[in-house]
Amino acid sequence: MPINKMSRFPLGLFLLMVVQFFCAVFFIGDVVADYRAMGGLTGGIHFWVEVFATVSLFVTIAFEAKFLLRLLRREAHLQDRLRLASAAVYDVIEAQFDEWALSPAEVDVATFLVKGLDIAEIAHVRGCAEGTVKAHLNAIYRKSGTHSRGELLSVVIDVLLGQEAAGSGTAG
Amino acid sequence: MKHIYVWDIFVRCFHWLLVLGFAANALIIDDDSKLHIWVGYCVLALVLARIVWGFVGRGYARFASFPPSVRGAAAQLTDIATQRNHAHVGHSPLGALMIYNLIASLLVLGLSGYLMTTDMFWGTEWTEELHELAAIWTEASVIVHILAALFESKRTRVNLPKAMVTGFKDMPEE
Repeated sequence: MPINKMSRFPLGLFLLMVVQFFCAVFFIGDVVADYRAMGGLTGGIHFWVEVFATVSLFVTIAFEAKFLLRLLRREAHLQDRLRLASAAVYDVIEAQFDEWALSPAEVDVATFLVKGLDIAEIAHVRGCAEGTVKAHLNAIYRKSGTHSRGELLSVVIDVLLGQEAAGSGTAG
Repeated sequence: MKHIYVWDIFVRCFHWLLVLGFAANALIIDDDSKLHIWVGYCVLALVLARIVWGFVGRGYARFASFPPSVRGAAAQLTDIATQRNHAHVGHSPLGALMIYNLIASLLVLGLSGYLMTTDMFWGTEWTEELHELAAIWTEASVIVHILAALFESKRTRVNLPKAMVTGFKDMPEE
């Protein structure tokens, strides 16, 4: 199954996150030890700077996690063949999906739809029931202002041709 | 629903005895007491027994059934990113990484703790530092392990904590 083939996993980013998590845990231990040693919140500015630094490190890790998941999503939707060409095409389509505010699951289903998979195949690839795929499809049609697979595809083709998206019926 | 026997009695007893021992030492028992040392030896013995069982046990208990795998971990992260759902019968790839992390951390924790009691290393600073570092790393890992088990139970709709009690996983049919 080429769809699940992982050709470029951002291992470096993943390892960086593990190392940062190790540091964050170490700092937390330090903050807790300081707090215990002081016997309360008497440490003043130095203590709070430490707390701030630790919290911001965790926030950084969260952002990296979000970025990692985005990379993996993108990688999952691109096939090895014609990688460059399909990457450019996918970027345009993905921007449109973002504009419709599709959830990650809906983006996944919509991508398979554009690739020409039917409901049973999508359900198999995603490891879920066909009913679930149909529910995602309904949400996709609702958010894109289309009513059928054909209509959705024509909107996507319009977008690829650089025309105004037929979107929510505003284009004339 | 497929009802599959995954965790044998040894794995389950090991897991919950380890929970008891580690929680007692980390949260309740005084660090400087004799009891802390004895509970620590028990935890170390449990981990060593688990390692032996990983080679002589059967089925999903064997290390060979969950080798560390970058490819597998990447596939599982991709499932999370795209909200796909492929449930794993034994340890999931990310779960397997956590198991190896916990085993290694507990070994470092137990051995550094043991060194602190020997005549040779008694009172040396690095053994104590190492023991404290290993303790906080293991505690953080346990928290991540618990949160991840809850997250994966919700995501894959397989009740993982229950499986560790009963030994059975209820896998959804595809």
